[in-house]
Amino acid sequence: MTHPWPVAITGLGCICAAGTSLDACMAALYSGKRAPAPSSRFKSDHPTRFPVFEVTGFSEPPGLLRTSALGLHAAREAIADAGLDPETLRSLRVGVCVGTTVGSAMNNEQFCRDYRAGLDPDLAPIERILRSNPAAAIAREFGLTGPCQTVVNACASGTDAVGLAASWIRGGICDLVIAGGADELGRITYNGFISLMITDDSPCKPFDRERKGLNLGEGAAMLVLESERLRHGRSKEARSFLLGYGSACDAHHLTAPKPDGEGLRYAIAEALSCCDTPREAIAFVNAHGTGTPDNDRVESRVLADLLPGVPFLSTKGYTGHTLGAAGAIEAAFTVACLERGMVPANAGFATPDPELGGTPVAACERVAGSVALSESLAFGGNNSVILLGKRGSA
Amino acid sequence: MRMAVKGIGVTGGFGCGVADLAAALKSGESRRAGITVPSAQGPLQLPAFRAATDRLEEFAPRRTLRRIDHYSKMGLFGAYLALQDAGMLAADLSRVGVVIASGYGATATTFAFLDSIIADGDICASPTHFANSVHNSAAANISIMLGAKGPSLTVSQFDMSVPSALLSAHRWLAEGRVDAVLFGAIDELSDLIGYLWHRQRGARSSATMAPLSFDEESSVIGEGAAFLLLTPDDGGRGYCAIDAIETGSIYRGSLPLPADALFVLGADGRSEFGARYRAALPGGSRVACYAPLYGSMPAGAGFDLACAALILQAGAAFPSPGAAGCAPEGTATALETGRVCALRFADANEYAAITLSPL
Repeated sequence: MTHPWPVAITGLGCICAAGTSLDACMAALYSGKRAPAPSSRFKSDHPTRFPVFEVTGFSEPPGLLRTSALGLHAAREAIADAGLDPETLRSLRVGVCVGTTVGSAMNNEQFCRDYRAGLDPDLAPIERILRSNPAAAIAREFGLTGPCQTVVNACASGTDAVGLAASWIRGGICDLVIAGGADELGRITYNGFISLMITDDSPCKPFDRERKGLNLGEGAAMLVLESERLRHGRSKEARSFLLGYGSACDAHHLTAPKPDGEGLRYAIAEALSCCDTPREAIAFVNAHGTGTPDNDRVESRVLADLLPGVPFLSTKGYTGHTLGAAGAIEAAFTVACLERGMVPANAGFATPDPELGGTPVAACERVAGSVALSESLAFGGNNSVILLGKRGSA
Repeated sequence: MRMAVKGIGVTGGFGCGVADLAAALKSGESRRAGITVPSAQGPLQLPAFRAATDRLEEFAPRRTLRRIDHYSKMGLFGAYLALQDAGMLAADLSRVGVVIASGYGATATTFAFLDSIIADGDICASPTHFANSVHNSAAANISIMLGAKGPSLTVSQFDMSVPSALLSAHRWLAEGRVDAVLFGAIDELSDLIGYLWHRQRGARSSATMAPLSFDEESSVIGEGAAFLLLTPDDGGRGYCAIDAIETGSIYRGSLPLPADALFVLGADGRSEFGARYRAALPGGSRVACYAPLYGSMPAGAGFDLACAALILQAGAAFPSPGAAGCAPEGTATALETGRVCALRFADANEYAAITLSPL
């Protein structure tokens, strides 16, 4: 059984530092608001207090990792947005595909400290990790019977999860898939990224000449992907369509992108080929745009080469780099921007960098067209791209 | 679309390579070692199945391996062995995808990174350990070393990592995104994982695994890598076909399982899942279980698939090690069925049934 491209998106949910719902996030993005600050949830003995983008006004239940709780929050919004209720979901073959970086890692710092100190630590933190696999936690919460997959492709995880979910729909494996990404902030990733010296000690400045690195963030976004058979059966209009997915590995370096962007080029070409979308149809690109010197240089040059003149921006200036959640959050933002016909300013950009392939969107800007790209580049050389179309684009 | 298993690459407690696994299946014997882990009560000696990677240098120069940790080395070794077994060591891998399934990822390096913070403070966090602790480090190292430029995916779904990842490998091949997938299951035994296993499961009273004694706790932790080189079934030679991958959760009713298949069970001595196997199996089912050759670990599901492939190639079911009343050492019984179903349960509701058949 094969379901052709495109795949309908009927629901969206998002939570991150910009807001606790997609609408709230978009309002913050269009108003230019951002508030990175040193973490209020953990301490560090670094002399510099690097700013992060925390989700405020949200707390996780004691038995669940914050990552999975963020994922569940976004999933509830997406399911409601799709007009679905738990009973209907239980009657369908529903899969869950979630990207993360920390949601399945056995790395509780306090447990390790106590173990290293010669104690027999309480197993509760480990049991919480084992109970909190992000995809499984969503499936369990809603009593879903389809396949579950937690994708751990580093910073491309969220984009890959959405692309893989479309593949499950296309293969007839599921009627509906809840797909996205979730990640929480913590001391381990905070110290890890600082150790790599790719963290900015001020608010991040993607694609700016003075960029010094990324700010970490946390959050989650979920998309409801639905088969045409189910969507037509319940007379549900699509909010957006996934028009393509591409991914490729640089096979070059563990933490640095290939200078010529070979994998990203291939991923873009693959995504465009799914629906034979012409390059000139693309209204804008929601770039990975971390604010690190290497990422922004490679990404902007590839875009200048493949999609000259197409507006591009990074939304990480509003959210921080949410790692495994980033691709999903940016997919949700991309759909919302297509719906509104407007993209926000690339927060943090002020000075063009002559080394880059172009300059990002500097102020809120109207965009014409019904198709946009969202990109993720990751540790391990993963490059992942999804192509999104607004309602009526299919 | 049926997938064909064209090559197998394994390293685990039984040894390394297809020949060692086949020999272990015939003899029912494995080379169980052990691990000594620190604890509040002093050093704990735990039985364990360890995987060697010293032969990796037959495939890659030592200098290129010096910064690669044990987790990625196991993966690289499994990948090279699978390619060699498929006759593809010198092949162009630009259209080969890499799919890795791991329950826990690079645990030793993850804990080493934490140690760098705990011992010396946040400012001494090790960038090398951090970069290698990400779950997709093995997939990245494999892609870099082999020049595999197709899509790359790592899945960490604890005990269901392997069937979940296999589903995506199948989709890539069905969609024509890649010509072949290097599919691997990897799990690593580190001090802390060993300690956690001991804390969660208690001291072992018996040194022998008896996973078909469903109510008995007999798990012994293992580590290793099991790789399969998968392509669409093109009518050519290979070990077997993978016909269907069913995975998800079941909350009520019974699991639809093939009545005529030999079931290779994912039971690995953890008593909490025993009742689920007993309840799910159709009456009179023929079952086999090979976890006593490689131990208990999420990646064990990858070894189950390798064993199923060898069964189908041989047309014979090998005796289940440690099973009461199993066939005498060195004997295998005729398969008597055209299908093998690798069956695995996890958590309270999760299941996976992967059906394989001859090519």
